[in-house]
Amino acid sequence: MGAQATPTENTIPLRRADFATLAEALDYAALGQTGCNFYNGRGELYEVLTYADLRDQAIVLAHRLAGLDLPRESRVALIAETTPDFIRFFFACQYAGLVPVPLPIPFSLGSHQAYVRQLRTMLQSCRPSIAMAPENFVSFLTEAAEGLDIDYFGAPEDFERLAPAETALRPLQSDELAYLQYTSGSTRFPRGVMIRQATVMDNLAGIAQYGVCLRPGDRAVSWLPFYHDMGLVGLMLTPVASQVSADYLGTREFAMRPRQWLALMSKNKATISFGPPFGYELCMRRLRPGEAAKFDLSAWRVAGVGAEMIRTESLRGFARALAPAGFREEAFLPCYGMAECSLAVTFAPLEQGLKVDRVDREVLAVKGEAAPVEDPDQPFNEFVDCGRLLPGFELKVLDGEGNEVSERTIGTIHLRGPSVMSGYFEDAEMTSQVLSSDGWLNTGDLGYFVGDRLFLTGRQKDLIIVNGRNIWPQDLEYLAHQQPEVRPGDALAFGVPGSDGSDLTVLVVQCRETDEAKRADLKKRIRSRVQSEIGVDCIVELVPLHTLPRTSSGKLSRSKAQQNYIASHDFTHRESRGRRAAV
Amino acid sequence: MKTYQDILNELLETIRPLAPNADSLTEDTELMGNLGLDSMKVMNLLQEVEDHFDVSIPINVLPDVRTVGDLARKIHEILGER
Repeated sequence: MGAQATPTENTIPLRRADFATLAEALDYAALGQTGCNFYNGRGELYEVLTYADLRDQAIVLAHRLAGLDLPRESRVALIAETTPDFIRFFFACQYAGLVPVPLPIPFSLGSHQAYVRQLRTMLQSCRPSIAMAPENFVSFLTEAAEGLDIDYFGAPEDFERLAPAETALRPLQSDELAYLQYTSGSTRFPRGVMIRQATVMDNLAGIAQYGVCLRPGDRAVSWLPFYHDMGLVGLMLTPVASQVSADYLGTREFAMRPRQWLALMSKNKATISFGPPFGYELCMRRLRPGEAAKFDLSAWRVAGVGAEMIRTESLRGFARALAPAGFREEAFLPCYGMAECSLAVTFAPLEQGLKVDRVDREVLAVKGEAAPVEDPDQPFNEFVDCGRLLPGFELKVLDGEGNEVSERTIGTIHLRGPSVMSGYFEDAEMTSQVLSSDGWLNTGDLGYFVGDRLFLTGRQKDLIIVNGRNIWPQDLEYLAHQQPEVRPGDALAFGVPGSDGSDLTVLVVQCRETDEAKRADLKKRIRSRVQSEIGVDCIVELVPLHTLPRTSSGKLSRSKAQQNYIASHDFTHRESRGRRAAV
Repeated sequence: MKTYQDILNELLETIRPLAPNADSLTEDTELMGNLGLDSMKVMNLLQEVEDHFDVSIPINVLPDVRTVGDLARKIHEILGER
């Protein structure tokens, strides 16, 4: 102990990510006194890594990696625990002309087999020449890599045995890859998003100059995993490329002790942190009565929110609960992005907070248009203003026939610009499905624009269409979540093909209740709420806890739930359902 | 020095309030499967366990912990290594 965290103030002029490559960005950051700091679950600082030391150590390691004499842009798989070693290896790759591939760590109990399978599929996809796992994960890596052709793998210490190359290092150049990212795609068919140096630098500059508008005095805190786009690009690379000190807390440590996030923000007077809405909610739920005033969140100017559809309720609750700590609701910064665009696509204006657009539910369902509600008693849907495109992005919103739609009409979001990926690694077929030859990325996300503002309404593939009406699964799930027995994340809604070409609406809800009468009552309540609020009949099915399917990145998967449902139900019984629908 | 049985007993006491619906709670009870703890409740439980036993449970043991007994054995190992 006794180590001092790196200071917030720097000795060199702030440069907002205006570099050609990540290696150049670190070269510059190393001239100052800022860096990154690692905290354990009890809030104790256990390692300080200034950007100067990071550069020195990454270069030493790069010489060892270069000694293996691998072709340029060979992949280096890194099990991405929140550790200084991960960052050292990530930048060693940059200097050695190799491409880092951050891979996940397991959080679930009893997930040994599933994790090893997932890891193996990813290793088979990116075909690394080198793989590194933290000491305590080497056994998993060894299992996953069995029989695969990997030149060198092991724990960080094992790399000290490598003989350093005598030749000069040739860092990755701006037209070469910066990293591969496995965020989207299913467990069985992972997709490695290819991001070039120029691509990620464009996005980092956008974030630093226009999204967050970094300035001297800024300091970041993050508990987001380094294998996720927001954790990696937003909270690891952005700080390095802008010479901002960053304080890291492990993701599991956050999940165990979410209040440590607030403690760390308070302690170092941090100004910037990001998270999914769920993270804010978890934090608020664990807050103890009267405790809020013990924190000092008055310096927190950017509380980024992204990665999930944004519902304002829990965020507003967080802001209210932490007002005694000096947290301001205007600090919320809604944003939209995805790994396929490096990270960020839009940001709301700073200090705007959560601005919502209330649109007529009936018009939305029947015409797919976002018409502002005039009568406050009219049923409405609320969408959050996700802000403006970062410079360089072009946006097209297309209807089902591929025609561009006008303002306030829902369509599929297509993007083009210098932050967009080059494709999925060695997967031309999947790439051509989402990326057109003239550079347009089909995000699959649904939304609409008003002036220069983008509003996200859902995922295209999840849309339920009943008798020509568009039904948003989030709305059905939301109604289920409002029942006392059901918690956020316990319900999934989707459509299944009905006999007349229209969808049958299904809500699968996980719950622990075993009493038959109580179960029947819960189903009845949900169904009647859906009927009265949305105006469609829906089949409610109760399933045991933890049985809702998830994607590889841990998000609940409506499409998998839909497939499971179709597979497990005999559709010859459709008639009885038809009768029920007519009630 | 605590025995495995001591640790198991204390662990059962720690878990009981978090799983009020569990009618029988034994060494073989699965934390997620039988008790229906979701991943966030598991994290909450681990925090209580760490505080109670004054240990730090490494993240890499989680994939191999399924039952109450698995967790008790891990804690026993960690305490024994001191």
